[in-house]
Amino acid sequence: MKRIMQRSFLILIVSLVFFGGICFLAFRLLTQNSMWVQQPYNGHMSSSNGLAQAGDIVDRDGAVLAHTDASKNRVYHEDLTTREALLHVVGDNSLNISTAVQSSYRNELTNYSFIWGLGMPNSLKSGKSLALTVDAGACRAAYEALGSHKGACVIYNYKTGEVLCSTSTLSYDPENPPEINEDNEEQYDGVYLDNTISSTFTPGSIFKIVTAAAAIKYIPDIYEQSFYCEGEYEIEGSKITCEEYHGYQNFDEAFSHSCNCAFAQIALQVGRENLTKTAEELGFNKELFMDDIALVKSHYDVSQAGDNELAWSGIGQYTDLSNPMHMAMLCGSIATGGTAKAPYLIQDHDSFLAQLGIEKKAADVQMLDANTSEQVKVLMRNAANYYYNARGLDLAGLNFCAKTGTAEIGEDKEPNAWFVGFTEDDAHPYAFAAVVAEGGYGISAAASVVSAAMYELVY
Amino acid sequence: MNFQVFLDIATVALRILMPIYAVFIIYQCFASMRRQRRPEKPLVTLEIKNTGQKLPVLFWENSIGRSRGSDIVIADSTVSRDHCVLLRRAEGWFVSDIGSKSGTFINGEEAIGRERVLIDDEITVGTTTLVLKRGEEYQERIRPSWFFSKASDKGSLQPYKLMLLITFFHLFMAVEACFSNEVQDFVPLYVFGAFTVISWVFFLISAYAFNRVNFELEALGLFLSGIGVMLLVRQELRSAFVQMIAMTFGLILYSFLVKFIENPDRVNSWRLAIMIGAVGLLAINLVFGRVQNGAANWINIGGISVQPSEFVKIAFIFVGASALDRLQTKRNFIEFIIFSAICVGALALMGDFGTALIFFGTFILIAFMRSGDFKTLILALAAAVFGGIIVLKFKPYVADRFAAWGHVWENAQGAAYQQARTLTYTASGGLFGVGTGNGYMKYIFASESDLVFGLVAEELGVIIAFAIAIAIVALAFYSRAVTTRSRSSFYSISACCAAGLMVIQTALNIFGSTDILPLTGVTLPFISAGGSSIISCWGLLAFIKAADERTYSQKRILRGED
Repeated sequence: MKRIMQRSFLILIVSLVFFGGICFLAFRLLTQNSMWVQQPYNGHMSSSNGLAQAGDIVDRDGAVLAHTDASKNRVYHEDLTTREALLHVVGDNSLNISTAVQSSYRNELTNYSFIWGLGMPNSLKSGKSLALTVDAGACRAAYEALGSHKGACVIYNYKTGEVLCSTSTLSYDPENPPEINEDNEEQYDGVYLDNTISSTFTPGSIFKIVTAAAAIKYIPDIYEQSFYCEGEYEIEGSKITCEEYHGYQNFDEAFSHSCNCAFAQIALQVGRENLTKTAEELGFNKELFMDDIALVKSHYDVSQAGDNELAWSGIGQYTDLSNPMHMAMLCGSIATGGTAKAPYLIQDHDSFLAQLGIEKKAADVQMLDANTSEQVKVLMRNAANYYYNARGLDLAGLNFCAKTGTAEIGEDKEPNAWFVGFTEDDAHPYAFAAVVAEGGYGISAAASVVSAAMYELVY
Repeated sequence: MNFQVFLDIATVALRILMPIYAVFIIYQCFASMRRQRRPEKPLVTLEIKNTGQKLPVLFWENSIGRSRGSDIVIADSTVSRDHCVLLRRAEGWFVSDIGSKSGTFINGEEAIGRERVLIDDEITVGTTTLVLKRGEEYQERIRPSWFFSKASDKGSLQPYKLMLLITFFHLFMAVEACFSNEVQDFVPLYVFGAFTVISWVFFLISAYAFNRVNFELEALGLFLSGIGVMLLVRQELRSAFVQMIAMTFGLILYSFLVKFIENPDRVNSWRLAIMIGAVGLLAINLVFGRVQNGAANWINIGGISVQPSEFVKIAFIFVGASALDRLQTKRNFIEFIIFSAICVGALALMGDFGTALIFFGTFILIAFMRSGDFKTLILALAAAVFGGIIVLKFKPYVADRFAAWGHVWENAQGAAYQQARTLTYTASGGLFGVGTGNGYMKYIFASESDLVFGLVAEELGVIIAFAIAIAIVALAFYSRAVTTRSRSSFYSISACCAAGLMVIQTALNIFGSTDILPLTGVTLPFISAGGSSIISCWGLLAFIKAADERTYSQKRILRGED
């Protein structure tokens, strides 16, 4: 019997393994319960998707963006344009815009806690209000400037990480969500995506920031080189063209001119590996976060590319894709000497689990070394001072460093317009990125969006 | 404060109270098991004739031999490693030679088969002669197992008080269900009434007809079964009644089994018949089986669906366990291995891989407890991995389950529909649950059986759900603690393995539905709806009951024998 007793330790082991499994389940439950609860099919949340008990959402100045009224209806900002401008930030009654605050912070808004679950009687439920970092006026201004184009504009404080302006088009009124069917599909194409964080666009010339950073790092004599542009540059039988003939120019001038011929040559000089390495250090192919929402990854991949394609990739074409929020972070890193502050949208938001370090949390990203970022800053400052200012561009009177981009996206389509950069002003340290799909040339289309929002923020 | 708010606060207060109450009940069940144990002293003593050294005989069945694992170690090179077994039966003490080289002699005569020995008889093994003496001859103190409280501890909770606690818990569930969000009526109270009558009649029969003192195991079983029944009331009333009827059959089977295995030697003479019966049952299933959800593990008898594999579980434990003197024989072990292979193979053929896995796990437990041989263990595991690969190759739908495993949220509307619902509603319940009858899990297919963990967690809260899981593991700890105090190795092995089987089944159920393991579709013991399942659970519980020596030795009026 003693022997049988000893051998029964196997049952003990089975029991301990089982107990370990229970602990694992408990751990998952503790860390993931909000995600598990947040499912569109959850019967406990079906009445206006559980928002009937949700608290208010207010902007940085206290303007009410969403509110549940006495008759348990969810109402949004009183101004129609503001409602549309903030649709993708705030969300609507549905869970369709999955990154919107009302979807991703539903548990906070309805005060869901794992302790009480979702079964509390209605009379004992109470919502919690959330304050956002955005400025409703700036969002509205950017939204109006974007007009009927598909696009996005994001401005964030590169010293603190607060997102001040975030708007995405196309949009609709959250109080009157459209029935999307076969007939109007096209009109609402991609309307449930927040373009600032969940979409990518061909970057075009703004990618020259990356190529320039790589050149500064890997080509020691880049500032001594001279690049000749006769309007086109042939490589492997295919032509890369510039809008105009730039002649002889140094590196700095080539950046300001946004000379494709010069940057094609620079990309080839930097080489596949170094360019890929720099792009990835700058956040391409990398998961970045705003609060705990993952941004869609920007894309850079030249592993299958020939020289011709490598050259195109260096000027932001080929298969390159950029996410607007990521572009703002990249500019923020240049402004601060290399580190991009993690952007956030919710004020004072730090869950208990995040404080313990269990939950994923947006972290600052080291993108460049101080020297390279300083050099790139000079390039972008010169571009702004000598070219963009000269064309009458004004960002609420602030000094700024910037780069425009015009990305070709195919025959008989207008190019995508980009404008990215940052202000050099202690009181207004803002990094920005705006993209206007099929908007024409960057300086005219995208820059005016940033400018409109900037005026709202400064004045 | 208006009346509605007052009512709501009362509801929430009840919900918070119930998990605490449930944990208290489960604690009381096990606390009672730990008590009322006879003091740790030898049953008899063996005195070595030449030296006068006294050896305590602690167990009902004791192996005598040279090897260090023997219960009574004789340091004599003429004694075989496993020489003979000294065992106690209702009639008295016996010695049985288990294939020793030099033979076993009683008062000078060679023992063939089991031979009765009396006090002062001389047992000769090799050159050593042992004299059987009374237990009082041995004076040294023996340390008891940690599981049991000291004899001086206060007495356990009276069984009827435990029953009252449980009945009130079920009543609270019924009251909650009466005021459920969707339907308000008094039907849950009728179900509660019927369940209470069944469980109290069972209690009274146990106490007065069988004169049993202890009722903790049964109480735990009734507590869990009652939770299962009360959860069914607002899901499908008919199932609640079917479940209660099945449980009644389970209680009858339980009482019969406890009586049937009272004599471990009688069990042995039935062993072959049980084996043939079980194989026959599986054969009928294979031929007439109905396919349900990918597995042909059901047969229909006169309009009633039965799952034969559930009953084969009981036969499996029967065949696997054996008394100590028969345990060592090769034939006995080989029969068991062949029987196991047939069972697992038949279940795999039916496509019931969850149950096949349970049988296989239990086989490993039994085989190891009998032989202590790691080689057998590794060989069996290798065979299982091989078998698993073959299954994945020829039954692609099993592989599909693996595909969804770990990718629940990508497949929430497809292959992982059930697991996603289980997780969502588990989290929706919070610590205290949304209240009996208020859940949404109950609308999901199989939520009363394979996914019942989600239903319990949603309606009663995570605390109760986990407490139920812990209670089943505690059964395994309890079975282990009574191992050496069982009246035969038959009980020790069968109890440990029956509890082990339940733990494995619980693991497959809970972890399968919550995406920690692939979903195999097995029931949660006692809780899940399913007639065959609950009958089999009560049958398995009988083995654990029988392993406790108090079951047969203590009677209600004349307490304690030794």
